[in-house]
Amino acid sequence: MHWKSALLSGVFAAIGIGALTGGAAAAGPTCANGTIKVGAVSTITGPADFSEVPKATQAAFDAVNAAGGINGCKIEYTISDDKADPAVAAQAARDLIDNKEAVALVGSGSLLDCAVNAVNYSRKKISSVQGLGVDAACFASPSVAPVNVGPFTLSTAMGYYATNVLKSQKFCAFFIIIGGTQEAYKKGIEDWEKISGQKVHLLDLTLPFQGDLTPYVIKARDAGCDTVLTNQVEPQVVQLIKTVDAQKITGINWLFLAPGYTVQVAKALADTKQPIYVGTEWEPFTETGSAANAQWMADMNTAGRPLTAFSQGGYLAAKMFLKVIEGIDGEVTRESVTKALLEMKPISDPLAGSPYVFGEAKTHSPMRATKVMKLENGAWKVETPEWVVLPDAK
Amino acid sequence: MNSFLTPAIAGLAAGGTYALLGVCAVFTYRLVAVVNFTGAAIGSAGTFALIALTESGYPTFPSVIAGILVGAAVGVLIGFIMTRWFAEANSSTKAAVTAALLVGLIAIGLRLTGGQHPRVMPDLFPGSAFRMAGVEVTIASVLTIGLAVLFTVLSDLFLNRTRIGLHLRALSDRPLAAELIGVKVRLLSLLVWGATGAFTTFALMIIAPQRSPNFMTLSLLVVPALAAALVGLFRSFWLTLAGGILLGVVEGLASSVDSISQYRSAIPFLVILAVLLWSQREARWDEAR
Repeated sequence: MHWKSALLSGVFAAIGIGALTGGAAAAGPTCANGTIKVGAVSTITGPADFSEVPKATQAAFDAVNAAGGINGCKIEYTISDDKADPAVAAQAARDLIDNKEAVALVGSGSLLDCAVNAVNYSRKKISSVQGLGVDAACFASPSVAPVNVGPFTLSTAMGYYATNVLKSQKFCAFFIIIGGTQEAYKKGIEDWEKISGQKVHLLDLTLPFQGDLTPYVIKARDAGCDTVLTNQVEPQVVQLIKTVDAQKITGINWLFLAPGYTVQVAKALADTKQPIYVGTEWEPFTETGSAANAQWMADMNTAGRPLTAFSQGGYLAAKMFLKVIEGIDGEVTRESVTKALLEMKPISDPLAGSPYVFGEAKTHSPMRATKVMKLENGAWKVETPEWVVLPDAK
Repeated sequence: MNSFLTPAIAGLAAGGTYALLGVCAVFTYRLVAVVNFTGAAIGSAGTFALIALTESGYPTFPSVIAGILVGAAVGVLIGFIMTRWFAEANSSTKAAVTAALLVGLIAIGLRLTGGQHPRVMPDLFPGSAFRMAGVEVTIASVLTIGLAVLFTVLSDLFLNRTRIGLHLRALSDRPLAAELIGVKVRLLSLLVWGATGAFTTFALMIIAPQRSPNFMTLSLLVVPALAAALVGLFRSFWLTLAGGILLGVVEGLASSVDSISQYRSAIPFLVILAVLLWSQREARWDEAR
């Protein structure tokens, strides 16, 4: 660097630091002692592991901190494990809110965080930019707005795809109902009925979490379904398709939600000839050449984190949160962050097909777009290069 | 017309599984006097050894043998724990210990096998045997039911007609007395654990491709299997066989009736309750306790 420009940049830097310490005069976010405290309540140990979600949020925050932070403020991020235990989840949230003084929750991914804590979040006037909304409460609370589509809206979207693209006439849905998800899935199907003008041909809410699936695939066949949607997770998707193959059933499209979209499922089902489709929450993570994934992949590779759909959710939650606090004028506190989220304008990101917005509604489900993947010879292929965007139910 | 037959036949696949694992449970109970909750988990361990080997490119047949050996080894290990520390304990303590071991095995198994991610399970007996009432009855289900019947016949003969069988029954009923008259108690027990471990592994290798391929769901097949064993009151192999198949058929039927199908997974518990009530119907309070 030339000595003149070095001197010049030094002067500018000095002015910059002066402006920061000057405080009130500066535009943009400020912080009391150099940090903005943020938390996440996630299921890490226990029956499921969603740790990839907050760890990707962590990676995104680390990248910002390494580049000097937001207007000089470093983000201090705490991930709490709820162990899928309601008591632990409630304690984790209280600790983050009262002791760690978090200004917001970002990038949580949990089996029960929303169900257990959403009411408490509303009471404490803290907001959660959920990285992966799993339970129904994540999409039915004023204090939580997930960056993912979620199983309920995704069910509607897959039905919409079945009607519009696969030209399904006899659309059937089989759901595993755990906890309080029954009403949410029913509403997902009702929304599809309103949008498509069709009636669901067969709706079965008794699909078992474990057990033999032969009676169910026979039921679907004998009812004459041309398309079957289920909300099964990875191993059950494999089991269902193996059972379908054993029963020599043909002529049915098999639709699954985002949990079925993994490399392991594709490998385990490499031999099947069944038409299998899954809906993604975000830009398909297996599309490593896609421009929409480029920034996320670069940041994950720098942080040494694996490229999974979960990590897209955590990363996207971090980006949305950062954009929102960048727009705050003044000190970043729980009040100012919540206010900014309530008043924010929708923000678009290439990772998602819908713009993200928190807003003042009583419930939030801002993400309403999916890309559909089809299984071909043991790998997922993008079936819809354009986003399948769900219209509003009238 | 086929409205009941079809779901009943569809339940046969599950029924064969329950029967086979149930007969194994009765076998273990009659020989070493343990209500074994780890049965299916031992089999799962061997099955996942097979999966690990085939996934890393080893040919199927030697991998099956290796998997069965792993199952036998895990069986012997559990047997060692039971005979070393709990030989003198009463049967409810032993059952509680195996339930605890089951939780441990599932936790370790899920960690080692990659949690909920499905694995590529080689289909040892692919294809369908015949079609009945619109349902393909797979070779695997025919084989499961066939094996259950075979195992029932063999166990009956073995226990009632052979000298080792007699020793083993003595071992289970009066371990101390058996030891005093020179029966090699420890060795025989470990042999039984190893043999049932090997057999359940083979059974699970047949069953697994049609099931949700992860360690926990396979291990929990022990619940309906124990319900089947209870139908035989942990004594009769034939009643256990019938109980297992019936359980599967009832489950199949239940899934065709919407109003009860959401309680389908409760059926094994209802069966357990019904059998207990029936078997205790003439017992007075003091005896029944």
